[in-house]
Amino acid sequence: MAPVTMVEAIREALDEEMQRDPTVVLIGEDIGVYGGAFKATEGLLAKYGWERVIDTPISETGLIGAAIGMSYQGLRPVAEMQFIDFIACGFNQMVNFAAKSHYRWGGPVPLVVRGPCGGGVHGGPFHSQNPEMWFVHAPGLKVIYPSTAYDAKGLLKSAIRDNNPVVCLEHKFLYRRVKEELPSEEYTVPLGKLAVRRPGRDLTIATYGAMALNSLEAAEELAKEGIEAEVLDLRTLMPLDRQGIIDSVRKTNKLLVVHEDVRSGGIAGEIAATVNEQAFEDLDGPILRVTSLDTPVPFAPPLEERFLPQVADITRAARELARY
Amino acid sequence: MATKVNRATAVGETSASRLSPELLLGLYRMMVKCRMCDEKARILFRQGKYAGNFYSNVGQEAGEVGAAYSLRDDDWVAPSHRDWTSNIIKRAPLKYCFAQLYGKADSPDRGKSTPAHMGYPELHVITPASTIAAQLMIGTGVAWGLRRQGKDSVVVSFCGDGATSIGWFHEALNFAGVHQLPMIYVVQNNLWAESVPLRLQTALKNLSDRAKGHGIAGVSVDGNDILDVYEAATAAIARARNGEGPTVLECKTYRWYGHSEIDPAKYRMKEEVEEWKRKDPIPRFEKYLAEHKLLDDEQKKQVRDEITREIDEAVEFAEKSPYPAPEEALEHVWA
Repeated sequence: MAPVTMVEAIREALDEEMQRDPTVVLIGEDIGVYGGAFKATEGLLAKYGWERVIDTPISETGLIGAAIGMSYQGLRPVAEMQFIDFIACGFNQMVNFAAKSHYRWGGPVPLVVRGPCGGGVHGGPFHSQNPEMWFVHAPGLKVIYPSTAYDAKGLLKSAIRDNNPVVCLEHKFLYRRVKEELPSEEYTVPLGKLAVRRPGRDLTIATYGAMALNSLEAAEELAKEGIEAEVLDLRTLMPLDRQGIIDSVRKTNKLLVVHEDVRSGGIAGEIAATVNEQAFEDLDGPILRVTSLDTPVPFAPPLEERFLPQVADITRAARELARY
Repeated sequence: MATKVNRATAVGETSASRLSPELLLGLYRMMVKCRMCDEKARILFRQGKYAGNFYSNVGQEAGEVGAAYSLRDDDWVAPSHRDWTSNIIKRAPLKYCFAQLYGKADSPDRGKSTPAHMGYPELHVITPASTIAAQLMIGTGVAWGLRRQGKDSVVVSFCGDGATSIGWFHEALNFAGVHQLPMIYVVQNNLWAESVPLRLQTALKNLSDRAKGHGIAGVSVDGNDILDVYEAATAAIARARNGEGPTVLECKTYRWYGHSEIDPAKYRMKEEVEEWKRKDPIPRFEKYLAEHKLLDDEQKKQVRDEITREIDEAVEFAEKSPYPAPEEALEHVWA
């Protein structure tokens, strides 16, 4: 098998699920003939027809609302946000209808809303955001955020089969930069389970998305200095694999959380609180975090570089933590 | 394209001759039932029998009943917070409707949502959210799903005049227009968006003109004339079933009371309220039925007595129903 990129893996997931289940439909802007702004849906209109690949007007709240209504009709819609930033326009439907539908009405919403997120491509304030915590904070929504092509495919397939609304964040920097051979046989990746990307004994780095790559790179450097970092790729932010994090902290006794999301209100705070509550006695040092700045995502390359966590920021924090 | 029907003086004469006495009396009975349930709900709230708030529909029954009465079991309704009675019109047992007000374990949502946010999955009534007009887009998606399955079911959504100003009202109409979906967007134009009068909401005279911008049918009717509403609604429903696309149906009516039970509505002129109370859709229809020898005083009393008994039983049921166990707060977050 030839290696595939993350965006190709996403397309495979959509294709396989549409093939497997006729109730899976795609809805979004420019996803038809155009194949999506990032080509995630390329070729699917020709294969499945306009009734299953629905190009919509520029109408994010409209298309998310319609997708929720479709889900009440036994369909499993996968809605694409051209950039996940634009989900802000559909926020009401996400947090007030989709998230609460089953709780208030017993009506499950098997909906996936997926779209490209993240910085590093000089997209500026409206094409670079990481809005995962907007949705982690809305009970009733699941949130996934893969860092590999394998996970992107496997998590998305699980999300499509899940009876709950799932927000799938796909880091656009990784779309064509990560590439790997995928199994030829069918597989899924369960929601709510982290992956240990690199085992280590000295400290735990909990991270996800593009920062998983930075963290692994940092771990390589740290290893040269004799610091063995265990790198956890969270993969799902809601439900969060709290036990997986605790298990690792019990082993390494030190925790560094790295995310591309801004600092205040990022999931690092939630993870730190969880570890304090459940594994305080196991800690040999403070829980540290490396995150983006508490600013909008700036455009100019030097500004964006300053904004985003760099490998050097991670190694610096890890060395500091290792000293305890 | 948009058409307009404005027959304020006709009082449904054209359609009435085609309607059976059973149907006419059914419409009447349902309007009275909605009115009496709503008034009872207001009293119970003021007596402190249930928490939260209540959004009365009194005065708007002709639009409510006229639009939804003839729906089939497989048709859907997407109500707003003011359309609690949609459930009643869709034949929800009253005892569960009152249990909903009380937030009791026997309410359809087991106390999860507020009194007026009532839906009924089995009857295809979607539970509204508080964010105005959001239900229209959900209903539109349901309509898309129905059409895709080759069904001839339709969706009737309800909203007020205020909802027509918000963007997603238009996103819904636009989407339904593109796909010619089986949607009937009923706009209960009661002249007030909470405390803001229509003249501060829009420069339009007829809210059905909102349809023109989306290339779909728009009809304005006397929302206090049950037969006028019924005729326009059944025509719109028939078009929707035949795949002829969506309709905006504006019912010109009036909200007798405040936005909610905690709003004394002092922003309105007393004369305006009194004028509209004189246009009460129920006595108006009673007069029509009496003229056609379909209803006399004794029958009127009988209808009200029957409904009173039904409501009393429902309230008793609701009061006896237990509250959900506190632990249930944790249930049903996930499907």
